[in-house]
Amino acid sequence: MTATAPTLLEMGSITKTFPGVTALADVSLVVREGEIHAICGENGAGKSTLMKVLSGVHPYGSYTGDIVYRGEQVRFHDIRASEQAGIVIIHQELALVPGMSITENLFLGNEPRRRGSIDWKTAQRRALELMEQVGLREDPDTLIKDIGVGKQQLVEIAKAFAKDVKLLILDEPTAALNEDDSQHLLDLLRGFRERGITSIIISHKLNEIEAIADTITILRDGRTIESLDVQADGVNEDRIVRGMVGRALDSRFPDRTPDIGEVFFEVRDWTVRHPTSDERLVCKGSTFHVRRGEIVGFAGLMGAGRTELAMSLFGRSYGTWLSGRIFKDGEEIQLKTVADAIGHGLAYVSEDRKSIGLNLLDDIKTSMVAAKLSKIARRSVIDPVRENRIAEEYRQSLRIKTPGVDEGVVKLSGGNQQKVVLAKWMFTDPDLLILDEPTRGIDVGAKFEIYGIIQRLVAQGKGVVVISSELPELIGLCDRIYTVFEGTITGDVARDDADPELLMKQMTATKKSPTP
Amino acid sequence: MSRITDLQKNLFGGTTSNARQFGMISTLVAIVLLFQIWTDGLTLTSGNLIAVASQYSYILILAIGMLMVIVAGHIDLSVGSVAAFTGIVVAKAMQEYSLPWPLGILLGLLVGAAIGAWQGFWVAYIGIPAFIVTLAGMLLFRGGNQYIGNADTVPVPEGFRKIGAGFLPEVGPDTGYNNLTLLLGAAACAGMVWREWKARQTRREMKADVAPLWVMGVRLAVMLGVIIFATLRFAGGRIGTSLPISGIILIVLVLAYSYYTRNTIGGRHIYAVGGNARAAELSGVKLKRVNFFVMMNMSVLAALAGMIFVARSAASGPQDGLSWELDAIAAVFIGGAAVSGGLGTVSGSIVGGLVMALLNNGLQLEGVGSDLVQMIKGLVLLLAVAFDVYNKSQGRFSILGALMRPFRRDDDPSTPKTPPSPASDTDKAKVAG
Amino acid sequence: MRSLVIRSIAAVGAAALLTLGTACSNEREGSTASTDGKGFGKDALIGVALPAKTSENWVLAGDLFTNGLKEAGFKGDVQYAGASTTVADQQAQISSMVTKGAKVIVIGATDASQLSTQVSQAKEAGATVIAYDRLITNTKDVDYYIAYDNFKVGQLQGQALVDGMKAKKPKGPWTIELFSGSPDDNNSKVFFDGAMEVLKPLIDKGDIVVGSKQTDIKQTATQGWKAENAQQRMDSLLTSAYGGKKTLDGVLSPNDTLARAILTSVKGAGKPVPVVTGQDSEVESVKSIMAGQQYSTINKDTRKLVAETINMVKSLQKGDKPTINDTKSYDNGSKVVPSYLLPPVIVTKKNAAEAYANDPKLSPLTK
Repeated sequence: MTATAPTLLEMGSITKTFPGVTALADVSLVVREGEIHAICGENGAGKSTLMKVLSGVHPYGSYTGDIVYRGEQVRFHDIRASEQAGIVIIHQELALVPGMSITENLFLGNEPRRRGSIDWKTAQRRALELMEQVGLREDPDTLIKDIGVGKQQLVEIAKAFAKDVKLLILDEPTAALNEDDSQHLLDLLRGFRERGITSIIISHKLNEIEAIADTITILRDGRTIESLDVQADGVNEDRIVRGMVGRALDSRFPDRTPDIGEVFFEVRDWTVRHPTSDERLVCKGSTFHVRRGEIVGFAGLMGAGRTELAMSLFGRSYGTWLSGRIFKDGEEIQLKTVADAIGHGLAYVSEDRKSIGLNLLDDIKTSMVAAKLSKIARRSVIDPVRENRIAEEYRQSLRIKTPGVDEGVVKLSGGNQQKVVLAKWMFTDPDLLILDEPTRGIDVGAKFEIYGIIQRLVAQGKGVVVISSELPELIGLCDRIYTVFEGTITGDVARDDADPELLMKQMTATKKSPTP
Repeated sequence: MSRITDLQKNLFGGTTSNARQFGMISTLVAIVLLFQIWTDGLTLTSGNLIAVASQYSYILILAIGMLMVIVAGHIDLSVGSVAAFTGIVVAKAMQEYSLPWPLGILLGLLVGAAIGAWQGFWVAYIGIPAFIVTLAGMLLFRGGNQYIGNADTVPVPEGFRKIGAGFLPEVGPDTGYNNLTLLLGAAACAGMVWREWKARQTRREMKADVAPLWVMGVRLAVMLGVIIFATLRFAGGRIGTSLPISGIILIVLVLAYSYYTRNTIGGRHIYAVGGNARAAELSGVKLKRVNFFVMMNMSVLAALAGMIFVARSAASGPQDGLSWELDAIAAVFIGGAAVSGGLGTVSGSIVGGLVMALLNNGLQLEGVGSDLVQMIKGLVLLLAVAFDVYNKSQGRFSILGALMRPFRRDDDPSTPKTPPSPASDTDKAKVAG
Repeated sequence: MRSLVIRSIAAVGAAALLTLGTACSNEREGSTASTDGKGFGKDALIGVALPAKTSENWVLAGDLFTNGLKEAGFKGDVQYAGASTTVADQQAQISSMVTKGAKVIVIGATDASQLSTQVSQAKEAGATVIAYDRLITNTKDVDYYIAYDNFKVGQLQGQALVDGMKAKKPKGPWTIELFSGSPDDNNSKVFFDGAMEVLKPLIDKGDIVVGSKQTDIKQTATQGWKAENAQQRMDSLLTSAYGGKKTLDGVLSPNDTLARAILTSVKGAGKPVPVVTGQDSEVESVKSIMAGQQYSTINKDTRKLVAETINMVKSLQKGDKPTINDTKSYDNGSKVVPSYLLPPVIVTKKNAAEAYANDPKLSPLTK
């Protein structure tokens, strides 16, 4: 691949406005044949909008500017038209039907027919070919819901191949994947490059971009900032960040001097069964503790049982409790319902902000007070003045970017939504805050701020548990890290000992390291 | 244009999502005016308004309960059958066991509560979709009505008829109006002024932008005008008539339930459950209790509506409550509730119900056959919801803005010194993401 | 700008108040009950509220009223109840007629006992209420009742059933089934009682056997006069009481719609066609009679009934007392309603041509 490869796609002077908002202003993008082209930018920078313009989701006529693809001016009126031209976009939210098999999903809307009925034999054969191409080894009759997210992602890509893809666009493809699956996916993209397929990748994971991309285009506030040739320009993560936020971030974690107190929260022998499968244990005799003023990390691969552990502690919101005891400040406590858990000073910020963390119909202030309405009510009548005042306080202290607290949460960017969720749980005044993937899908600037919020909380003497799939985040943020593997806690690593290699070893092995 | 936007922002509630409400109210006003002209002024006569109030009060009572059910993400198909069942039980009890009528009303409410507990149990604690539970209830209680009543009509005593066909008594000096209705109207005016003042105070305490005084003046004048007009109409009917008792029951329920849904923890929980049940549960909301409550509440209101209808018809019959569920559901959706739950207001549903009621009434006054009336109602339902869906896909839309657009060009050059409005445009400024 | 807006709003407000003021003319007046002896304008509004369009007869009656009232110089307002919301619809329609100031309201009730509130309302507003075909019960505010003599209808049906069966099979005993109308229609019982007056003695003697032994009106009722309900009941009767070679000689059906439903059911079961009575002279049934299927119907010429009703309205308009021929039979629970009864005519294949000679729609069918 050289910089002299012919141009496959050229988008010039693209401008797209929504009522009251200019999403893209004079954006241009040049993609060469056979390269992996990364688009970087903070949330709201216009990456997704640009891809929607390209794929015809925003049809020709709703934007201004030119798209030249394979040397011809193109005008896509819908997504079908762009797909016919070989441009396939794979969205962050996968478009698969969980109750259908891999084969059925691969050919959904594109079924091979013979005399009017679906030719399942051909479909089966072609499915196997396509799965081979993306390195997916599964029975093609397996239902989508029975395979992991990583494999689902592969099915999506295979689906793109079924449509004879020339330009593959991946929007945050590794956001929901664990390290292994991410690595596999990146290798796959490299393989495609060798076969001459061009890819555009949108990602927040800058290390991945640095590792895989040939060219990087950076967007900020709906404008093209720069286009970098990775090899020629010697691009690294810091360089990308500078482009994205318009300045260099000195450090990715705010400074903090830990002030750690006594153990105040303890869990012993926590064992929980899977909600539907009788034999599966999602937590096996987990024992851990948290000190006041301490940030405790939980590291583990996807499906290791970290979320399950957290949710089962939080008022038994997940699975069936079998055994185990919880102690707070030396006394045993019973947390049978979420209300009990909140009452005893626990808070759980879900990894899935949109589907179980927030009511997307609510406005900001309603969301913020939702977990402890009694605090703003007198004889169960809500005091709107107090509600408003509290929301304003959080808006200012957490620096939530919004014109007002009456706005719907759905209009906020991911980072600001996450801040609203944090505010919601800070409002319950918890002693122990469990944060499940607190920075997933959030851009660099907002991540930094959220780390700051976490640090301020522990400085007030609260305990914080952080569950994360990003090891650098855990290592940078936490005072102590537990590793989890298949429902068992396999290690307890102090900050100074933590390095990615050690953690990864413990996250993948059952061998229990000595716990202090 | 700042004044127009000010007016638009503050005339009806002053918060977001009022475009929808504004649209509904304009539709209602348009329908009233249209028929007022078309029927040569018959629509707004005392007699007709009184008739409409007593004819549709029971559907509107159902709409209140249905709104809460739909906001919580359920549906109740059994309301008509529950109403009919309660009606026949109460009528039989009064006829055969000579139960005094006040106890009859109490019995009816208890029957409603028992049915509601039954349905709520299946929905909330066993987890069967409300659609199925209430479809079963629809058959169960319709059959129950025929089983108990032998498909016969059972008359109810005079005292009981008051709740459906009764009026306020004539007391005090002859003012040419029903004095008690006048008193109610005066109380309503006072309440409105107090509420407006209170709301202004609240907004000021919140440090939110308070509407300019003149906007509040206009708003208050419009509302007081409507109340005074309605009062005089209802008080000025034939001697012996007034605001119907059933209308008073309705108004009390509307006020109580609006307050409950907007201002209390319980009300918030219903919206939370409908908006995202799992998120609500993880915020400590007792899901089962909320679901049980909305289903039970619906049946109690259905029982009340059934009794009012029986009282109005002077007898309980086998056809009572037929397709009421559809009227109630239509009112709620015309009033802007979302099919998937989590959105909707009591006042919106009432406006939706009134749109249907006045449409029905106006067409009947015009002598349009019931076949056509049904077709028109069906189209109105479809258009109202389609309008809503269209609006959502187009982002915010303002009717007033659209109406005023033609005047904009004339307006702007003539007022070059108007400072740019801080209220309207910065609001729409870019929000990150 | 500000003053302009305020001024324009003030202007709009003033205009609104002005219209309100003029619109707020008081309607307060006492009850103007009893128009007897006073009469009213020759072009007054006459309201006619009829049940849902479930039978041809109501549709015909509606058309006849519309035209008849127009010819007589009145403004007619003819309304049908909706198919699924009958009672509530009719209540609303009567209220609307009162609002519009109808002087006479003719009501063909959907549910005869659930209209008392509206009837009183009409009465208080000064309208005269005529119960058409179905007596309105539980109210003293009904002024007149006009209908065919329904007890007589029942008697004729019973007699026709017996005659028909004798003609087919001279010697008894005959096996029959009984059907009656909707339990919420006051007339159902009257028809049934009339027929039973003829049939009961024969059943007691053993000349006639009711195959299913269902002789109580509660068992024989057909909810809502609906054909599907009659057909369903006949289906189950055939299954339960007429297995094997058992045959059915006759069925007492209160009207034509139900008679045809019963015939459909019997034919579906592959049984020979029994003698089936009817009523209303519906087109399909007259065809069926001429084809030798249904045995009889009753000619209650809707034209005559409507014409007599309009005559009644005319006398009321002049301030005269309308003609009444029965002042003691029809007690509605609150009072004995003065009634005008017309005599019904039984029609079989034999006398059909003669009976429908004057009917433009039916007479061609009899040739």
